[in-house]
Amino acid sequence: MSDRIVLLTLTRIEVTHLADLVRQFADLVDSTPTLPDPAIERLTPDVYPEDPEASREFRAVTRADLLRRRAHDARVVLDDLARVERVEDELAPVDVSLEGDSIESWLRTLAAVRLVIANRLGIVEDDQDHDPDDPRYGVYDWLGYRLEGLVQAAEQGDTA
Amino acid sequence: MAGAALPDLHEDVRLHEQEAADVPWQTVVWNDPVNLMSYVVRVFREYFGYSVERATQLMLAVHNEGHAVVAEGAREQMELHAQAMHDYGLWATVRRSPP
Repeated sequence: MSDRIVLLTLTRIEVTHLADLVRQFADLVDSTPTLPDPAIERLTPDVYPEDPEASREFRAVTRADLLRRRAHDARVVLDDLARVERVEDELAPVDVSLEGDSIESWLRTLAAVRLVIANRLGIVEDDQDHDPDDPRYGVYDWLGYRLEGLVQAAEQGDTA
Repeated sequence: MAGAALPDLHEDVRLHEQEAADVPWQTVVWNDPVNLMSYVVRVFREYFGYSVERATQLMLAVHNEGHAVVAEGAREQMELHAQAMHDYGLWATVRRSPP
């Protein structure tokens, strides 16, 4: 179903914020940190939790590729966002057109950005209380809302 | 959760059980507080080609029981599945099937 097209409607200001977040995400997965980053650890979890040696071997072989795929997904999202029309009114709705497999890149990237933010916020339990004063929770919830909409749009695209 | 049911659910389950009898590895997906339920269903459908019913059943098992076996087969295959799950941000591990 590579000829499918999914339309996502955002406001212009959301496009700007999303591009900013995804750029930061792309920088994160492109970086080679000297210390282990817990968010990166979460994106590349141990595949054999009871066998650290096997996990290490697996990771040594697969992690760089996985992060490269992450960077590619982020680039697809940024390219789509860059094509969105520029309008004066920041609250005006604009359509983002997702063609073919780019919907998968979008789903994976929004989900991954949420994972990184959740990791930074220390969200470790279902239904954990949010600190209303921390603006990152607002970003986290907004991304969840948009991801939910994207999943529904993708499902409709599949059955159309 | 919208979507058309696929007609080959039973066929799929039967094949799955047959393979499980003589292959000793599993891909397991674990619950996490971040991934959306609808997203997890979508991933199981898109990647494994599972029906809405089966994908939903697996998602609920992950959510309620803390984990679910999403595939069984040869070790290399299970590692590929785990990598694909990691690509989608799901927390997946590989283990030998319990005796």
